[in-house]
Amino acid sequence: MTTDASTTISNSEILKVTGLSAAYGEAKVLFDIDVSVKPGQIVACVGRNGAGKTSLLRSIAGFLNPTAGSVVADARNLVGMKPYDIAKFGVKYVPQDKKVFSDLTVRENLELASYATNDHNWDRVLEFFPKLKQHMDRKAGFMSGGERQMLMIGRATLGSPKVLLIDEPTEGLAPGIVTHLRNVFKELAKMTALLIVEQNLPLVCAIADRVYAIKDGRVVAEVSDKDAITFDACEQYL
Amino acid sequence: MIDTQLLISGVIFGLSLGSIYFLLAIGLSLCFGLMRIISLDQLLYYSFGAYMAYTVGLATGSFWFGVAAGTVVAGLISFIVERLIFRRIYERDPTFSMITSFGLLIGGIGVIKFFWGVVPRPVEVPTVIQVDVFGTAVPVYRLIVIGFAIVVYVGIWLFLHRTIVGKAIRAAIENVEHVEGLGINVSRLFTITFVIAGALSGLAGGLHAPLIMVDPMMGLETMAFVFMIVIIGGLGSIKGTLISALIVGQVVSVGSIIYAPMAQMAPFVMMLLVLLVRPTGLYGSPLYKR
Amino acid sequence: MIALLCGLSLVLPLPFMNEVVIFTIYVVGCNFMIGRLGYISFGQPAYLAIGAYSTAFYLFYFGSNPLVGILVGVLGGLIGSLLIGPFFVRLRSDYFAMVNLALAVVVFYLTEKVLVSITQGDNGLWFMTQMTSTPVLDLTIPSQFLAFGIIVTFFVFAFYKYLDGTIYGACCLATKLNEDKLQFIGYSNFSIRFLGFVIANTTTALAGAMYAVYLGFVSPEMGSPSRAAEPIIVTLLGGVGTLFGPVVGAIAYTGMKDVISNMIGNWELFIGFLLVFIMLVADRGIWGTLEPILARVVFPKSRNTDK
Repeated sequence: MTTDASTTISNSEILKVTGLSAAYGEAKVLFDIDVSVKPGQIVACVGRNGAGKTSLLRSIAGFLNPTAGSVVADARNLVGMKPYDIAKFGVKYVPQDKKVFSDLTVRENLELASYATNDHNWDRVLEFFPKLKQHMDRKAGFMSGGERQMLMIGRATLGSPKVLLIDEPTEGLAPGIVTHLRNVFKELAKMTALLIVEQNLPLVCAIADRVYAIKDGRVVAEVSDKDAITFDACEQYL
Repeated sequence: MIDTQLLISGVIFGLSLGSIYFLLAIGLSLCFGLMRIISLDQLLYYSFGAYMAYTVGLATGSFWFGVAAGTVVAGLISFIVERLIFRRIYERDPTFSMITSFGLLIGGIGVIKFFWGVVPRPVEVPTVIQVDVFGTAVPVYRLIVIGFAIVVYVGIWLFLHRTIVGKAIRAAIENVEHVEGLGINVSRLFTITFVIAGALSGLAGGLHAPLIMVDPMMGLETMAFVFMIVIIGGLGSIKGTLISALIVGQVVSVGSIIYAPMAQMAPFVMMLLVLLVRPTGLYGSPLYKR
Repeated sequence: MIALLCGLSLVLPLPFMNEVVIFTIYVVGCNFMIGRLGYISFGQPAYLAIGAYSTAFYLFYFGSNPLVGILVGVLGGLIGSLLIGPFFVRLRSDYFAMVNLALAVVVFYLTEKVLVSITQGDNGLWFMTQMTSTPVLDLTIPSQFLAFGIIVTFFVFAFYKYLDGTIYGACCLATKLNEDKLQFIGYSNFSIRFLGFVIANTTTALAGAMYAVYLGFVSPEMGSPSRAAEPIIVTLLGGVGTLFGPVVGAIAYTGMKDVISNMIGNWELFIGFLLVFIMLVADRGIWGTLEPILARVVFPKSRNTDK
C-alpha cells in the first residue's frame, strides 16, 4: 500500500474525497473513504460486485447523501448539493445501466445535454464517436449497447466537465468497442479528469494512472505508481 | 333502433364530456409519469376553476373571464402547493402522495364550504346558439369545449416534442436520475409540470361549470371517472389517457340513452375488464418504481 | 388493551364508546392491509357499506334477529371480497389504491341511485323497531351492545395477533417487502394477498354490520367516498402496523371529531389539513411513538408483552 505520493501535491487535485461514509437507510455501504484525482489523470476503482464502487460514485455525484466526510471538487464542497447542481458544476456521473432516453432521438439526447450545459458544440463528441452521426435522428432506444454507451459518455463530455465519473463503461461490450473506448478515455484525459469504476483489468492497466481497490466499503489498497499497476497487482482484490 | 338525432347529440355530448375528463386526467397522468405522485388535489383545482368561473363570471359579466381567472388561480394554487407540500414527498411511495393529496382535496372542500357555502351554484351557459350537425341541433358551447380539448392536446404534444423543456420532461418521465445527471434542474421541471396540470384542471372545472351545478363535492363526484380513465389508459401515458377519456365519455353519454343508471356503472366494469387483461392499463408501463 | 376499553367505558359517554369500538374494528382491516400487505385501500367505505347493507337487507326484509343480521353482514363481506379480490390483488399498490377509491364511488352510487328500489336511496333503511332482543346480551340496548362490541373486538384482536405469529403473517410482511424473493422460495404472492384482502375486508364488513345493528338504520352516507380517508387517517394516527394502533387512533379520532365538530363545524377543513400535517410531520402515529416509550417505562425489564 503506497500513500505517500498522493498527499505530496494535494493542492492540484481536482477531486478530493476525504473520510467519506454513506448508507442506504440503515445499511452502511461506505466507510471512511479517501480518494483523490488530479487533472488529466485517469483513476480507476476496482473491486468485487457489491464492494461499494457504484455507491462511491453515486455519493460523489450527490445521488446518495454521505453520512460523514467531504467531497471537494475544484475548491468547492459538493456534499449537500443537489445532483443537478453538481453536474452543472462539472462533476458528471455516467451510470452503468446504459439507459439512454430511448424515446428520444440521438439528436434530442445531445440537445438535452447542451441545454443543461449551454455547450452547443458537438464537434468533439462526434469526433470521438463518429458512429453517432449515422444515427442522429433514430430513437436512441434502438441502438446497440455499445452505441448507447458512446452516447452516454458523449453526452457527459459536453460543457467541458471537470471530472467524469464513469461506472463500468465496458461491461458487456464487444472487444472492438472496448478498444475504441480505451482510446477515447486517453483522449478525454487531456481535457478532464476521469474516475472510472472498472472490472476489466487489462483496460485498467492500460490507462489508469492510479488504482484504488475497494472491498466491503473500504479502500483496502492504493497503487499510485503507474509502473506498479499490473494485472497481478490488481487481481488479488477481485 | 335508436333515433339518429338522439345518437348524434349523444355522441357530441360524450365527446364534450370526454374532453373535460381528458383535461383533468392529463394532469393526473403527467404528474404520475414524471413525479410518480398520485395528485388527487387536481380535483380541487377543478372545483376552484368552476367556482372562479361562477364568481368572476358574475362579477365581470363575462363567462370567459371567469374561465381564464379559474385557470390562472388554479395554476397559482398548484404552484404554492407544489412548493410547500409535494416537494417534500417526491421521494416517497406513490400511495403516500395519494393520501397527502386526498387530505388536500378534503381540506380544500372545507375551504370552499367556508367561502361559498354548501348551496349548489348555477353557471349560465355563455352561448345558447345551436348549430346543425348532420341534421341535429347541437349546442355550440359543447363544440367549443371539444375545441379546447383539441387545442390542449395539440399544445401539449408540441410542448413535449418541440421545446427543449418538453423534451427534458419526456426524458425525465423515462429516467429522472439521468436527466439530473446531465445537470438539468429537475425540481423546476416538476414545478412546471405540476402547474400545467393544475391550470388544465382549473380550465376543465371552468368549462364544466355551465353543464353542471357547481357545488363543493363536485371534485369527489368527478374523481371516480377521472380515475377510471387514467387506470384504463394506463398511468403516465398521454395517448392512453386521450383514448380512454374518449371511450369513457362515449360510454357514459351514449350508454345513458339506453339505460341511464347503468351508463354510470359501465366505465367501472370496463376498468375491471381492462385490468384483468392488462394490470397496468392499456398503455401503462409495467415498471413499478424507479 | 381490553381492560383499557372497559375502563374507558366507565368514564366516557356510551355513544362515544360504541362509536370507538366499532371504529376500531373498522380500522383493524385497513391497518392490516397497510401494515402487513403494503396495500393502501381508499375503498374501505365500500366494504363497510357491503357489510352494513347485507345486514340491513336481512333485518329489513327477512328476519329480526340482530345476531343473525351481523352474521349475514359478515357473510356478505366475505362473498363481496371473494368476488372483487381476484381483480384487485394482482394490481400494483398505486393502482390498487385508485381502483378501490373508484369502487367506493361505485358502491355509493349503487346504494344511492341504481338499486334505489331495494335500498330506498337517501332515505335509508330503518329497522330499529323490527329487531328483536337477543338472549344474554341484548344488542338493541346500547349499554349491552357495548359489552358485545368489546367482546367482538377482543376476538378480532386475538385473531390478528394469532395471524401475526403464523407463517402466513411472516409471508404477508415478506410480500410487502420483497415480492420477487418470496416467489423464489415458493410462495404465491397472489394467494397470500388474496387471503389477506379477504380477511381484512371481511373484518371491515363486520364493522359495517355492527354499525347497522347499533344505529338501527343504514343510508348511502355511511359508505360515502368522501369518508374514504377516515380509516387511513386513524391507521396513521395510531401508527401503521402496530396491533393496538387502531384502538388508540379510533379514540383520538372520534374524540377529535366530537370536539372539533362542536367548535368550528367545518370538519373537512380540519381533517384534510390534519391529514396533510400527519403525512409531512409524524410518520409513526400516536401508538407507534408511544409504544417504545411505554415499553421502557412500564416494562423496564422484560420486553413489552402486549397486555
